[in-house]
Amino acid sequence: MAGSNSPDDDESNIETAQGKSMLGPLSRSTLSGSAVAAVIVGMISFASIGFAEAIVGKTRRIDLGPKATLGIDAMKLEYRRPESIPFPSENPYTPEKASLGKMLYFDTRLSVSSAQSCASCHSPGFGWGDGLAVGVGHGMLRLGRRSPTIVNTAWGAIFMWDGRLANLEEQALGPIQSPDEMNMPIEQLMERLASISEYKPLFAAAFPNERMTATTLAAAIATYERTVVSERAPFDAWIDGNEQAISEEAKRGFAVFNTKAQCSSCHEGWNLTNDSFHDIGLPSEDVGRGRFLPDISKMRHAFKTPGLREIVRRGPYMHDGSIATLEQVVEHYDRGGVDRPSRSDLIKPIGLTSQEKSELVAFLKTLTSNFTPTAMPVLPR
Amino acid sequence: MRKLAILAVASLAGLSAGALAANLTISQKGRVFSSESVTIRKGETLTFVNDDTVPHNIHSTGKGNEFNLGSQLPGASTDVTFNGVGEAQVVCAIHPRMKMTVKITD
Repeated sequence: MAGSNSPDDDESNIETAQGKSMLGPLSRSTLSGSAVAAVIVGMISFASIGFAEAIVGKTRRIDLGPKATLGIDAMKLEYRRPESIPFPSENPYTPEKASLGKMLYFDTRLSVSSAQSCASCHSPGFGWGDGLAVGVGHGMLRLGRRSPTIVNTAWGAIFMWDGRLANLEEQALGPIQSPDEMNMPIEQLMERLASISEYKPLFAAAFPNERMTATTLAAAIATYERTVVSERAPFDAWIDGNEQAISEEAKRGFAVFNTKAQCSSCHEGWNLTNDSFHDIGLPSEDVGRGRFLPDISKMRHAFKTPGLREIVRRGPYMHDGSIATLEQVVEHYDRGGVDRPSRSDLIKPIGLTSQEKSELVAFLKTLTSNFTPTAMPVLPR
Repeated sequence: MRKLAILAVASLAGLSAGALAANLTISQKGRVFSSESVTIRKGETLTFVNDDTVPHNIHSTGKGNEFNLGSQLPGASTDVTFNGVGEAQVVCAIHPRMKMTVKITD
């Protein structure tokens, strides 16, 4: 992965899962809050009191002024790749930690059956998913949702389709312990790992002053997962100025993506997601995020917006794997899905022409790289 | 009127904490709250303005200050009066990166 070197930064040379260097501390751009040029033009309603003591008062309609329309060059600026991977200060990158994490990630002994590893459902061979409509768990149990990719999870704000886990460290331990997935009690796992003599020095090198615990296990796996970054795709070359990198059809698709279809309202930024939750109108009984926010009607049937990097390798699509192709995905959004109270206000029939649909798919295909094969680690014995 | 509104907000910009006058306006432009943290007195009001391009659904489960604005479309402005002393975390249910703290003093 390309990046500018930062020789003064001890943590600057970070090896991605694909063996490429991604360098330097991330300089996250922050959106500055701007002054609100609001003119109250009329009170439209009095909302009811919410729950307990905060009182929700009147809602007014304000004039936001004319909607800014961005030119294609301004749109492209929103999609520039970051120069480095963000690692949390409480779990900074070290090569020893990432190396240990990779072994643990691919080690089937992390499941009670010793038959499943993290990579069973999040395999580099399938864009770090499993290529199935829904995951397969312990004892070949068919799970309820599709296995999400772990590509670019370093940039994630919240985890799992329903957002029930706050960070990648928590996420790493979730499927291991879930009776439906790897079904491994954490105490039993730590005993098993402690009995594998070659793991001990690796943990000691990765965590010099700590013991082998669930915390260090999760920290190592999460560190490795953060190194799994989508590689440069034709789209990136175009963003960087190579006009020959993608077709004219794909460029028109990019414009449709950002304007008429409004895909970029949720599939926002370089990773093509802002981690937002929406009911996109799939005919599924799964309440998703609504399980955790039952009082918020828009969260019923809402799921986290996935990023779109490496999307060609990641089908079938949607949280339930119910849509087989990108063409069908575009058709779904064009129709607007099931019209129900929880459906996102952003989801409605669009009225795309057949040409625009083809252009959108052509654009989406430019987001997939020629992924470098991932080498399997030699596992401790 | 427009000039006054801009001035009112601009005068409050940069004050991320501390006692503030009532009717402080919180912007949500660019999927970001304009303040990470504000301090108000019990009974004072914040105005949450959706000056963004997408709907938001901000809410709080802070004890004594629970509220849910529901889907707030672009161009909507809603007042919330906080009556419980303490701290309320205000988040957008749709956009989990949007978080702010409201400290309510006696």
